[in-house]
Amino acid sequence: MGDTLRLLRLLWSAGKGTAVVIAVIRLAERLIPAATATVLALLVSRVTALGSTGEIGAALLPLAGFGVVLLVGHAAEAVTEPLSYLVQQRIDGAHRAKVTRLTASSPTIDLLEQPEAQRLIRQAKADPDEFSQRTPGQAALAQLDQVADAVGVAAACVVVAQFAWWLVPLLLIPAFLNARLRYRGRMEFIQLWRSQLDVMVRVERWEETLASAGVGKDLRVFGLGDWAVRRLHQQHVARTEPQFAVWKRNLRGQLRSLLLVVPPLLIGFTAVAALTVDGHGSVATATAALTAGASLFMMIDLGYTVLTRLSGLEALKAYDELAELLTKDTGRPASPPVTDPGSSSLVRFEEVGFTYPGTTRAVLDGLDLEIRPGELLAIVGLNGAGKSTLIKLLAGLYEPTSGRILVGGGREMSELGVQAWRERISVVFQDFVKYELSAADNVTLGRPGVVPDKAVLEAAARDAGLGPVLDRLPDGWQTPLARSRTGGVDLSGGQWQQVVLTRALYALRTGAELLVLDEPTAHLDVRTEFEVFQRLAEQRAEAGVVLISHRLSTVRQADRIVLLDGGRITESGTHDELIALDGSYAKLFAIQAERFQQGYQDAIEEGELL
Amino acid sequence: MRRYLDLWAEMLRICWRRAPGATAALFGLCALSIAAAAGIALSLRAVIDGSVHGALGTAVVGACGVALSHGATAVFQATIVDLFLLLADETDLELRPRIYGWIAGIEGLDHLERTDFLDRLEGARNNTWQLCTSLWDTVLAVHAALKLGATLLILGTVSPWLLFLLPFAALPLWFDHRGKQAVVEAETGTAEAFRLQRHLFQLGTRADSGKDIRVAGAGEEIARRQAAAWDEGAHLRYRARVRAAWWKFCGWVVFACGFVGGLALVVYGAAHGHATAGDVVMAVTVASGLRQTVQAVVGSTANTLGTRTALESYFWLRDYAAAETARTTGTAFAPARLDKGLAFDHVSYRYPGTDRLALDDVSIHIPAGTVVAIVGEYGSGKTTLVKLLVKFYRPDTGRITLDGTDLADLDTANWRTRISAAFQDFGRLETTFAEGVGLGDLPHLNDRERITRAVRDADASTLVERLPEGLDTQLGRELGGVDLSEGQWQRVALARSAMRDDPLLFVLDEPTASLDAPSEHAIFERQMARARRLAEQTGAITVIVSHRFSTVTGADLILVLDGGRLVESGTHAELSAVEGGRYADLYGIQEAAYNT
Repeated sequence: MGDTLRLLRLLWSAGKGTAVVIAVIRLAERLIPAATATVLALLVSRVTALGSTGEIGAALLPLAGFGVVLLVGHAAEAVTEPLSYLVQQRIDGAHRAKVTRLTASSPTIDLLEQPEAQRLIRQAKADPDEFSQRTPGQAALAQLDQVADAVGVAAACVVVAQFAWWLVPLLLIPAFLNARLRYRGRMEFIQLWRSQLDVMVRVERWEETLASAGVGKDLRVFGLGDWAVRRLHQQHVARTEPQFAVWKRNLRGQLRSLLLVVPPLLIGFTAVAALTVDGHGSVATATAALTAGASLFMMIDLGYTVLTRLSGLEALKAYDELAELLTKDTGRPASPPVTDPGSSSLVRFEEVGFTYPGTTRAVLDGLDLEIRPGELLAIVGLNGAGKSTLIKLLAGLYEPTSGRILVGGGREMSELGVQAWRERISVVFQDFVKYELSAADNVTLGRPGVVPDKAVLEAAARDAGLGPVLDRLPDGWQTPLARSRTGGVDLSGGQWQQVVLTRALYALRTGAELLVLDEPTAHLDVRTEFEVFQRLAEQRAEAGVVLISHRLSTVRQADRIVLLDGGRITESGTHDELIALDGSYAKLFAIQAERFQQGYQDAIEEGELL
Repeated sequence: MRRYLDLWAEMLRICWRRAPGATAALFGLCALSIAAAAGIALSLRAVIDGSVHGALGTAVVGACGVALSHGATAVFQATIVDLFLLLADETDLELRPRIYGWIAGIEGLDHLERTDFLDRLEGARNNTWQLCTSLWDTVLAVHAALKLGATLLILGTVSPWLLFLLPFAALPLWFDHRGKQAVVEAETGTAEAFRLQRHLFQLGTRADSGKDIRVAGAGEEIARRQAAAWDEGAHLRYRARVRAAWWKFCGWVVFACGFVGGLALVVYGAAHGHATAGDVVMAVTVASGLRQTVQAVVGSTANTLGTRTALESYFWLRDYAAAETARTTGTAFAPARLDKGLAFDHVSYRYPGTDRLALDDVSIHIPAGTVVAIVGEYGSGKTTLVKLLVKFYRPDTGRITLDGTDLADLDTANWRTRISAAFQDFGRLETTFAEGVGLGDLPHLNDRERITRAVRDADASTLVERLPEGLDTQLGRELGGVDLSEGQWQRVALARSAMRDDPLLFVLDEPTASLDAPSEHAIFERQMARARRLAEQTGAITVIVSHRFSTVTGADLILVLDGGRLVESGTHAELSAVEGGRYADLYGIQEAAYNT
C-alpha cells in the first residue's frame, strides 16, 4: 500500500495536470472493452430486430456510438503515448539527478567506496538503456495501469453480470489466481536479478578489459586471448544459467496458466451459448457477456505490468538504502571545539593516524605536519608511504582514525564545516576528473560556486601556460574535450594535465588559499614541468602550495621539504638542511645523484632527451 | 540482404541446437496466435448466429472456439515475449564469445587503437543484445504482418466490400510508420545529450571522480547539468512523440470513418438478409483488434530496422577479423636459441590515417644476447619499433629478420610464446594477484613457486605481504578486491613479464616510470641480471625503452631515435664521446640541470 501511494505521488509530482490527463485517459481506455461490449449488444439487438425489413434507421444510433467508442480508443492511445513518455522522463530524470546529488555530496568518500554502496548505485541508477532494469517512471505508470485495470475489470464484470451473476466469480477467480502465479514468477526473476548484480559487474569489467588496448598487448604477447574469452564465457554462463532455469520454470507455469484460464472460459461461454439458445437471455446481452468476459483475462495482468512496477520500485528502494548508508553517522564522538586564533598555519595535522576501512595497516600513524601560507611545501616519500592518503585527509575526503586536523586558524575541520574548508582549497589529484564538457567548463567546474568570468579564465590559462593547447582547439574555450561530443576533441595526457592545472589556478584566482598538487607533472616533459614549477612558485605569495612528487631534482627548489616514511613525517627542512642532516632524504637524493654521476637520472623525460 | 539472411539462418541454427523446444514453441505459438485471432472472430460469429437461429450445436461449438481462442491469446502473448528473451539470451551465449574471440584474436592492435575502428568495434561490442534479438524481431514483424493479413481476409468473408477497408488500414500503417520514424530520428539526434547525462551520472556516483567533485563542491552543479542534459534530450523526444501521435491519430480517424461506413454496409446487408448479426459482431471484433495488430507490425518493423547498426558493426568486425587472419601467412617456428640476432632492414612504418612516418628507413643489426636501449622523445618511434618486433604492426616497407627469418614468415602465436614483455600502458587484469602474475606464462598459471620468484624479481614481495590475502587477493575494488596504485600495478606487470623462462625477446617499455628511486634501482638490478641470464641461456635480446639514463648506460647498444629515424647508435661511452652528437649534447644538458 505504501509503495502504491509512493508511486502515485511520484506521478503527481511530475505534473498535476499531466497526471490527471493520463489517469483519465488510462481509465477511459480500460472502459473501452465494456463500452464496446455494450454498444455491440445494442447494435446486435437492433440488427436482430430489423429482420429483413431493409430499414436500418434504428441501427444508426448504436452504429454512431460504435464509431465514437472506436475514435475515443484511437485518440486515447495517440495522446497517452507522448504524455506517458513525458511523465516517465520527468520522474526518471529527477530520480537520476537525486541519485547523483546524494552520492556526490556525501562529505567523505569512504562510504561511497564500499562495494555495498556501488551495488546500490547500480540498482538505483534507473538507466533507460539498461534492458534488465525498469525505472521509477515506468513503475509509476505501471501502478496507474494497475489501478485502471481494476476499474476496467469492475466495468467488465458489470457487463458480464447483466447476463448472469455467477459468470463473474467463474471467470474472475481463475483470472486472479493466474495473476497471482504470474506475480510469483516475476518476483523470483527480480530476486534472481538482484542477486546477480556482482556477476554482471564482473562480466562488464571483463568485456571492457578484452577490448582495451592496454590489456590487448598483454593478451597478445602472453597468448591469453582464448583463455580470457573462455573466462568471459564462464562468467556469462554463470549469469544466464540460473536465469534460464527461472525462465523455463516460468514457461512451464504458462502451461499451467492455460489450464487455469481455458476450462472456466469453456464452461462459462458454453453455458452462455446454451442458455441463449434456450431463450434464457437475449442475444445482445450474451454478445456483451462474451466480449466483456474475454477481456477480463486480458486486463488482469499480463505479468509485465507487475514486473515493471516491482523492478522500478527496486530502484526507489535502492535509493532509500543508499541514502541511509551514505548519511550513516560515522560514530566518532564530537570533540570539543578547539580554537587557536593566534595560529598562522593554514593546516595543522596533530598526531593524525589513518587506517583504510577493512584493513589493519595504519597508513598514517602519529603524523604531525604544519602547512603555512605563502610557502611551497614539497612532500616526498616512497611508493605507498601515504602521500596521496594525506592529501585525501587534508581535503576531508576521509576522517582521521585518530588525532585531528586543524584548519583555517586552528579550528577542527568539522567545526569549520568541511564544505567551508573545501571552498578555501584546490586539489589536483593524480586521477583527476575529465569532464566531457567544454574546455571552459572543465576549468570553471573547479569552482562551480563562482560566476564564470572570462577575464579570470584567461588569466588562469596564462598562468598555467594553456595557450598552445587552446590554440589547437577548433572552437577555443567552447570545444568539448571528448571526441564523442559534437565538435569535440580528445586531449593527450599532458594536455589534460595542463587543463587541470588551469582548473587549480583558476580556483586560486577566485579565492582558494591552498593549492595541493599530487604528481601534477607526471605526463609533462621536464622543460614544461620546470615552467609549471616556476609558475607555482610565483603563486605562493597569495596562497600555500603543497606539491607531491618523487622527482627530487624538481622538489629540491621548494621552500620546505618533508619526508613521509612509516606513516609520519620523519624529516623536514630545506633541501640543503636535509642534505646536511644526512638522513633518509639525503640517501634518497644520493641514490639519484650517484646514479646520475654514472649517467643515471631519475627525472629525464621525453622532451628533454632530444 | 544476403548477409542478413545468412546470419539469421545461422542464429536460427544456434537456437535450434541450444533450445530446440523453445525455438519450435516460438514458431508454433506465432502460428497459433494468428489462428487464435481468426478463431475469436469466426467462432464469435458462430455463437451469435447459432443463438439467433436457435442452433444449439453451432452456438456451443462456437462458444468453445471463443473460449479456447481467448484463453490461448491471453497466455500466448506473454509466452511469446518470454521465449523471445530466452532465445535471444541463448544466441547471446554463442555470439558474445565469438565477438570477443575476434577482438582478442586479431593479431594486430589497430582495431583497439584507431578511433575510426574503435567506433565500429564498440558498435559491435555494445549492441550484442540487439544483434541477438534481430532475428526474432524480424520473425515477430512477419508474424504481425501475417496476422494483419488474416484479419483483413476474415473481414472479406463478411462482405467483399469490406476488403475496401484494406487501403483504410494501410493508411494508419503508413502514418504510424512515419510517426515512428520521427521518434527514431529524435532518439538518434538526442543520443549525445543522453550520453552526456550518463557520463555525468557516472562521474557523480563513482568514488574516484568523487574526490575532485567533493573538493570543488561541484556535486550540485553536476547533478544540475545532468538533469539539464536529460531534460533537453527528453523534451526533443517528447516533441517527436507528439508529432508521431498526430500522424497516428489522423491515420486512425480515417480508418474509423472508413470502418463505420463499412459496418453500415454490413448492417444494411443484414437489413436485406445478406448478412447476419454474427457478421456485424465479427466485423466489430476484428476492427477493435486491428489497431493492436497494426502497432505490432510497426513496432516490430522499427525494432528490426533498429538492429541494423548492430548488424553492420558485427559484419564489419567479422570481415575485418577474417581479412586480418587471411593476411597472416607465417608458419615458421622461432628457433630454440638465437644465434645471429635481430636485423632491421630499411624498415618504415606509417600509422594508418597519418601522413608522417613513425619509423623512417631504420636499419640496424642487434646481435644475439644484446641488451639494447632505445631512447628518443615522445613520438620519436621508440614504442612503434617495439610493437613491430612483437608483430602488433607489420612494416610498410623493409623487413625485420630473426636469425635470418622474416618475422612475417614466423607463426605469430609461436613467436609470441618466445617473448616476454612489460608495456608502459600495461593491462590491468582484475584477477587475483597470483593470476595477474601467473598469466605471464599460461601453462604455469598456478605454479606458486614460479609466481613467487617472479614477484621477487619485480621487487613486489613487500607489496604482496601487505595485501589482505597475499597472493590470493582479488584486484579491483569493484570486484570486491583492493585497488592498486599506478606503481603497484606496474609491479604486477613486471612480475608477469618475469614468468616465462625461455624468451628470445624480452621487452621492457618504460618499466619503472611510476616507481620511486630505490624500487627502480632494485628492480633494474634484478632485470639486468635476468637479461644477462637469458642472453646466456637462449641468446635472448632484451629491449629497454626508456627516457631514464639509469636504464640506458648499462646497455650494450643504445639506439637514439628522432622523428622516426635512427640517428645514432653505439654504447654509452661511444655516444658520449661524439663531439656535438645528440646523445652527448643531451648528457651535457642533464648534467647542468641536475647539479645547479
